[in-house]
Amino acid sequence: MAETRETSGGGDEMEALRELFRPHIESFDYFIDAGMEVMLRSINAVEVRHPKSNTSLRIWLENPELVSPVKEGRKAMREPLFPYECRQAGTSYRGKFNADVCFQYDDRPPVIRQRFNFGHIPIMLKSKLCHLRRADAQKLTHHKEEATEMGGYFICGGLERLVRLLIMQRRHFPLSLVRGSYSNRGLGYTDKAVVIRCVREDQSAVTVRLYYLQSGSARVGFRVRGKEFLLPVGILLKALIDTNDREIYASLTRCYSETHQREKGSVGTQLVRERAKIILDEVRSLSLYTSLQCLEHIGESFQPIMYGLEKETHSAVGEIVLRDYVFVHLGNNHDKFNLLIFMLQKLFALVDQTAAPDNADALQNQEVLLPGHLVTVYLKDKLQEWLSRSREFLEEELKNNEKDFDLHNMAQVKKLIDKNAAHVGRLVENMLKVGSLAAGSAVELPQMVGLTIQAERLNFLRFISHFRSVHRGAYFTKMRTTSVRKLLPESWGFFCPVHTPDGEPCGLLNHMSSTCRITNYYDSRGYIKDYLKYKKSILTVLVGIGMSPSLPKLETSGPPEALNVLLDGCVVGSIISTKIEQAVMHIRGLKLSATSGIPDDLEVGYVPLTMGGAYPGLYLFTSPSRFVRPVRNISNPFGRNQGVELIGSFEQAYMEIRCADGGDGGRKDPFPATHEEIHPTGILSVVANLTPWSDHNQSPRNMYQCQMAKQTMGFSSQALQFRADNKSYHLQTPQTPIVRTTAYTKYCIDEYPTGTNAIVAVLAYTGYDMEDAMILNKSSVDRGMCRGQIYQVESVDLAKNHDRGDKEVKIFARSNLDKSVRSSIDSDGLPYIGQRINPGEPLYSSYNTLSGTIKPTMMKGLEPAIVDYVAVDGASSKQSLQKVNIRLRRPRNPVIGDKFSSRHGQKGVCSQLWPDIDMPFSGVTGMRPDLIINPHAFPSRMTIGMLLESIAAKGGSLHGKFVDATPFSSSTKNVDGDLPHESKSLVDELGPLLSSYGFNYHGLEVLYSGVYGTELACEIFIGPVYYQRLRHMVSDKFQVRSTGITDPLTRQPVGGRKHGGGIRFGEMERDSILAHGAAYLLHDRLHTCSDYHIADVCRLCGSVLATSIMQHQKRAVREIGGLPPLKTPKKVTCQACRTNKGMETVAMPYVFRYLATELAAMNIKISLKLSNRAAA
Amino acid sequence: MDPQPEPVSYICGDCGAENTLKQGDVIQCRECGYRILYKKRTRRIVQYEAR
Repeated sequence: MAETRETSGGGDEMEALRELFRPHIESFDYFIDAGMEVMLRSINAVEVRHPKSNTSLRIWLENPELVSPVKEGRKAMREPLFPYECRQAGTSYRGKFNADVCFQYDDRPPVIRQRFNFGHIPIMLKSKLCHLRRADAQKLTHHKEEATEMGGYFICGGLERLVRLLIMQRRHFPLSLVRGSYSNRGLGYTDKAVVIRCVREDQSAVTVRLYYLQSGSARVGFRVRGKEFLLPVGILLKALIDTNDREIYASLTRCYSETHQREKGSVGTQLVRERAKIILDEVRSLSLYTSLQCLEHIGESFQPIMYGLEKETHSAVGEIVLRDYVFVHLGNNHDKFNLLIFMLQKLFALVDQTAAPDNADALQNQEVLLPGHLVTVYLKDKLQEWLSRSREFLEEELKNNEKDFDLHNMAQVKKLIDKNAAHVGRLVENMLKVGSLAAGSAVELPQMVGLTIQAERLNFLRFISHFRSVHRGAYFTKMRTTSVRKLLPESWGFFCPVHTPDGEPCGLLNHMSSTCRITNYYDSRGYIKDYLKYKKSILTVLVGIGMSPSLPKLETSGPPEALNVLLDGCVVGSIISTKIEQAVMHIRGLKLSATSGIPDDLEVGYVPLTMGGAYPGLYLFTSPSRFVRPVRNISNPFGRNQGVELIGSFEQAYMEIRCADGGDGGRKDPFPATHEEIHPTGILSVVANLTPWSDHNQSPRNMYQCQMAKQTMGFSSQALQFRADNKSYHLQTPQTPIVRTTAYTKYCIDEYPTGTNAIVAVLAYTGYDMEDAMILNKSSVDRGMCRGQIYQVESVDLAKNHDRGDKEVKIFARSNLDKSVRSSIDSDGLPYIGQRINPGEPLYSSYNTLSGTIKPTMMKGLEPAIVDYVAVDGASSKQSLQKVNIRLRRPRNPVIGDKFSSRHGQKGVCSQLWPDIDMPFSGVTGMRPDLIINPHAFPSRMTIGMLLESIAAKGGSLHGKFVDATPFSSSTKNVDGDLPHESKSLVDELGPLLSSYGFNYHGLEVLYSGVYGTELACEIFIGPVYYQRLRHMVSDKFQVRSTGITDPLTRQPVGGRKHGGGIRFGEMERDSILAHGAAYLLHDRLHTCSDYHIADVCRLCGSVLATSIMQHQKRAVREIGGLPPLKTPKKVTCQACRTNKGMETVAMPYVFRYLATELAAMNIKISLKLSNRAAA
Repeated sequence: MDPQPEPVSYICGDCGAENTLKQGDVIQCRECGYRILYKKRTRRIVQYEAR
């Protein structure tokens, strides 16, 4: 278990990269190490009682065990299964999950343990049970993985899926909220409540809400099986501990004292006393006087909905309700009582407006859902379900099969309940594969669907971003208001302000900053944290500073005199407000000392006394899944990690953190900075950190770049030849950027480069560069610039395709009779490797053993492809070959219409591949640009970073050095401690380098027209810029149709590019054509090219539908002189009028006929009045 | 069904050994027992577009 951070494989250079994935892996590690054990302990035992003999059987679970993935099949047993194989074969990377099921008869000693297999549970890559855990780069490549493989995801059905990090309410912190929906709870409810999310040790949560009533009382609400139950708070207060009215009254009114009225930080008002009376009167009016009576009252009301407690006494049920649903994070009823008192005081302060409501949308009050926790919660739910299902099975069997079934016969019992044990694992795997919880899951999670996403390896940046993204929750995507999407100051340093998509998920899908971490269950030495020990040492320290502990009941005063101290949602005591600042400083100091026993990620949230601000107190958190980030503690620079302290999102709001720009950020003297940012780029995500000189760009451009970086075709994978992704994009000749930031080397992006250093000239040259179009040099493209290909895997499983049930077996085979397929299909029925296949040519052919026919299957798609590999998979079937992966390579060289972008949000579409000889050339070097963009791209967009990149890269390539373009470097201290001169601009650093090589100081050059050979009128800005090729290519998008498939019902053209459909000519298009008066064009679009139809209409009855064509009995027309026979005129009659006298032909849209039919079905007749006159 | 289609060579995905399999053979490497095999590149002349 003990494992230092460095030994998790790979060299030091990968360490920063692995750090990004740690929240995922560590949470799953905890699940493996201890989470399972804890989870099984918290599953309630079930009891089966024999209806006659009255013997009882208790069943519960113990000793969980998850096994590393092994190969299936008898012979291959115990051979390790590696992820590569799962990807290739489309299976899951999963390990067996076993547990002891314990049986005990009549609660008497012999406990019978039976080992049960609960199916397979997917194993996270690089977790402790993964075979690649400690693998170094060499071992990884040996197992056909990336050398940099970071893990953190699951492989389910061959797909790489990861759990989406979801925002949850911060655990164990009472939030005061104002929501309109609260007043809908019932009559007399107001919109104010204090809400606390309590989490059990096994990560399952129960939220307790304390609602304020108009009467002055309060109700406690919590959910039992998805339904909220409400209790008067007085009953709960009395039921929790043996107390009297005097004590409750004193505890509640503690926060009010006459001497401190309207003082800074006084939260209590005189009204608290009256409310306390109302609460106590309420209980008395129910004639509940003692603790036992209250407990019995609770038990009585909850007994009908609690399963398996039918025979318990009311008070026992009441105690179980208190244990399982009220403040589940606390084990002690005294603690629960104190917390409830605290919450009431906070609620009253909210109502009296002496304390402000908290913001549930601020990161301060949030934490995150981690993969390990999700799996634990879900597995617990499913195991519990299995246990109660087993109980039902046994009871049913006892009832129906009295004679044969013996409850004492272990073999029979085991056989009965073992049947669907393996289903548990399948459910967990399915949850990860689909991302949605099975119906009827009683898990308290913010959403049921969209819990997992696929990790796309389009390029490396996109892959990383998946693991760093944090989603606000599916519920908020449908919300009309934009307040949740706002970037709040609380998320400073934790969420990247730049890296969020624009459009629909804007502000809901955020990315963690590169320095942001998430707390976990492991301490810095790799041991599982001992929270009890932490609690003890924190309490000792606190008492040492002068906290009066809450447990021996003492009359203490509330804020402004003394502040409550909450440790992980437990009121542990109070500190006199004059001493508190000192206490906070002291604990902070201890956080940095390795020997103090205080964890380094302890969150010291000191909310100071204010006038009507947040409710004051000292809130300490040691819990996992909080956001933390490192900052430097300047008051104590010599502690653990050179004074680098981990601070959480709660405490940050109340801390004074200086930015490293030398200024003091407008901070006033009474509040000196205690902390300092380590580097300004720490607030940016990994992707945003890669934009060179992003501090010189207009901010939306940096956002666009974050988007586009994730859509770039790049060097997607080093293990490309072993991968079987459905579709992967690959750039043939990527380059490393000349201008780069420190993050580029830190995160090893050079392993997966994403672009090309193109020589970019900024001029209006041919007219083909208007409106963000750009001209590519044809010869550069021919030499390989921006060339790429798409790899597409066709997975063929013959066993899957055949109709269910029957014995139809297909095998791959080639027809020996049909010689035409020989050119493209080998004798095994599969294509030749390296073979070019054109659209409409066969990809493989299969032999149906039942019908004896051989059928070639054609390749899909509209463009030719080259067979890259054919992998035959023998693992899925015992007999002949059934499953094959054929990978096709589709070359995608730049063509007109493909999309490119620089790293500054400057995207453009290739409009011409201009011949090299016609490109402008430099008068000095003779160099021609690879790419021409229009100067109009700059003034309105203000991407100065791109101009700087061009100058810097020019100097860098002349000098033979990479240029550092880390943003904000001008405002940070140099190594020797002094700031660079304010007056010296970046150009003054880059310019002299250019002029020293004889170039223009500002990067301009004299160019000559490639067509006329004359000098261009002005000097042209030209230099290398790193260009990315985006994955949006015309070959995937073009859509053209003249005639084609029509809808059989309406005879109108179908939609959709895949089927060769058209693009809708809609109302707005119609209006615009009408406005132009182009009636003939409109007629052509809407009628002639759509469902043009010549209908026969009966003039007499006006019906379109009653006409029918009479069939001629014999063909009376003879052939005359070799001419084709004349078409016999159609004979049409009207069925209604029984004559053909009134027949006319009318051109109309076919849908009109359809409309007439539909109306006829509703007994409505359409009759047409035909006339020849124009104005009839 | 016509008799005896000629055997095709495959390369083991694990050890790299060459396996020649006939129709109906079990798909498994003879050397190491690995069950994912790759087809060998064709010996035929494959001509690319020289443009």
